[in-house]
Amino acid sequence: MKRILIYIEQHHEQEGLDLLETARQIYQEEPYETYALVLKSQYDALKGIFDVIVDLSEECLQEYEMRAISEVCYQLHKSYHFDAILFPATSWGRLIAPRVAMMLDTGLVADVTDIAHGEHGLELIRPAYSGRIMASIQITGDGPMMLSVRPGVFSYTQHKKAATQIRIPQDLRYRTGGLKETGRKEKHSEYDIRESDVLISGGGGVERYFHELRPLAELLGGHVSASRAIVDKGVADRNVQVGQSGKTVNPRLYIALGINGALQHIEGLRNVDYIISVNTNKYAPICSLSDIVVEGDAYTFIHRLIDTIHKEKGYEGH
Amino acid sequence: MKIICVVKFVPDVDNFTYDHEKHIIIRENSRMMVNPDDACAIGFALKMKQRSPDTSIEVVTMAPESVLPLVEDILRVGVDTATIISDRLYAGSDTYATSRVLSRYLSGATYDTILTGSHAIDGDTSHVPSQIACLLDLNHMSYISRIDESSFSSSLARFEVESEQAVSSYEIQMPAILGLTRASGYRLPYVRYKNLNMDVSDRVTVIHNDVLCFDESEVGLTGSRTKVVGTHVKTYKNRSHHVVTTDQEGIDTVYRFLKDKQFI
Repeated sequence: MKRILIYIEQHHEQEGLDLLETARQIYQEEPYETYALVLKSQYDALKGIFDVIVDLSEECLQEYEMRAISEVCYQLHKSYHFDAILFPATSWGRLIAPRVAMMLDTGLVADVTDIAHGEHGLELIRPAYSGRIMASIQITGDGPMMLSVRPGVFSYTQHKKAATQIRIPQDLRYRTGGLKETGRKEKHSEYDIRESDVLISGGGGVERYFHELRPLAELLGGHVSASRAIVDKGVADRNVQVGQSGKTVNPRLYIALGINGALQHIEGLRNVDYIISVNTNKYAPICSLSDIVVEGDAYTFIHRLIDTIHKEKGYEGH
Repeated sequence: MKIICVVKFVPDVDNFTYDHEKHIIIRENSRMMVNPDDACAIGFALKMKQRSPDTSIEVVTMAPESVLPLVEDILRVGVDTATIISDRLYAGSDTYATSRVLSRYLSGATYDTILTGSHAIDGDTSHVPSQIACLLDLNHMSYISRIDESSFSSSLARFEVESEQAVSSYEIQMPAILGLTRASGYRLPYVRYKNLNMDVSDRVTVIHNDVLCFDESEVGLTGSRTKVVGTHVKTYKNRSHHVVTTDQEGIDTVYRFLKDKQFI
């Protein structure tokens, strides 16, 4: 029976659960056992789903103590001999996984977005060159195989009922110190674009009036997102960035205003039902992916569409 | 204080050549540049050198020797020395093999801290800083968006890391590896006109495998733990789209579409 260790990042339990779908696609019909590694004991969402929860809460480790966490992973592997170790490709996951891979002398594939079983066997697929090419990668050597997996691309929907064992490892040896958090300012994000059904998204073309997108988003029951062009300029917050270097989103409707649609942006549009793009260049790459292309200026589009919606609503009200 | 900046030269992602047979980047032919995050690391080191002129900066890179002119330009803006680690045997190394090569050099070097970037725009695995930290047994932090310049010393650094949820402040004891991001705002200066032809050749060292002594099986494609078995340019399903303009007729088309699909 194969054994898979999945690292659960604090406050990102869903990303950890979604890695069960990655594991299922890797091992398909082969039997396997799933182990969740948790730093703090808030894991109700994982109970009944994972076979084993390895609870490290007694160790009081902080998520930034990467050296200690990787030393723990190393020791767990020495006792359980995992076949695969999966991390969510979150900020911490992407910093811890490479250390673990080096300690285990094994191959690690970063930011996996797809699994394929090709002629060479298992292939892990990831974007490279800012999303311009997709690379299929195999892990060579004796393993275990290690992956960091891009959040938002695999989705675990089954509700397997497993009798979950909780294990508290004893006699762990690791080193802490040398690094400490001295302050933390929470960002207050009103919404998560990954959960939005409707996204009104702005790019370089709306730099001067990005704030005008919000009323349209509210009218359509959605939220505002942005492309890298406008985030890099500091106009929009990185929290709402769609694309390879931002988030992968799955809205039903995506309205792209002044977005060119470089591959790195399109990489973030996973399962979008409808795309409307508004662009002064009707040959911009995003236009060929759109259901409707509005050739013209986004400012005019926003105001005319808002007026039309109000007017039509007004008629219906009478 | 001695600062080592570990940097990568990357192809300009808008213009690169990829060997689809061997699955490697043809670096010799593509226009290369310092990876943007790594350029911030050099920019910050130069700032520190301005504050305390006894700071010395060494840039270390593993790259084909063809990057020499780019490395020389880095020396012309105030970096003291540069080391290019280059050997035919190292071509095709994955992040695991690359980290081992760089770490072997760094383990024999003297430094108070190692600065680097957080992401590279080509591979974008972010593995190398963490793996070097592991091999050199150092603490490491990436995604640094601000460093406190006044408290930066050979024993301590204070900095901020911006994540999705928060901005956190940290204190790290040196030596350590610090990975900056472009959000830090540091820049690699341009070479001044009067320095354009400055002879810096005596400040560059090229190191081959005769110094680092890796066995052929430990580096390059054979020493890697991952291999690229295929690449493709991603294609997306084009939709049969309707082109309208922003006149009332166009807006009405969009309105009806939104209404049909029940968004209104």
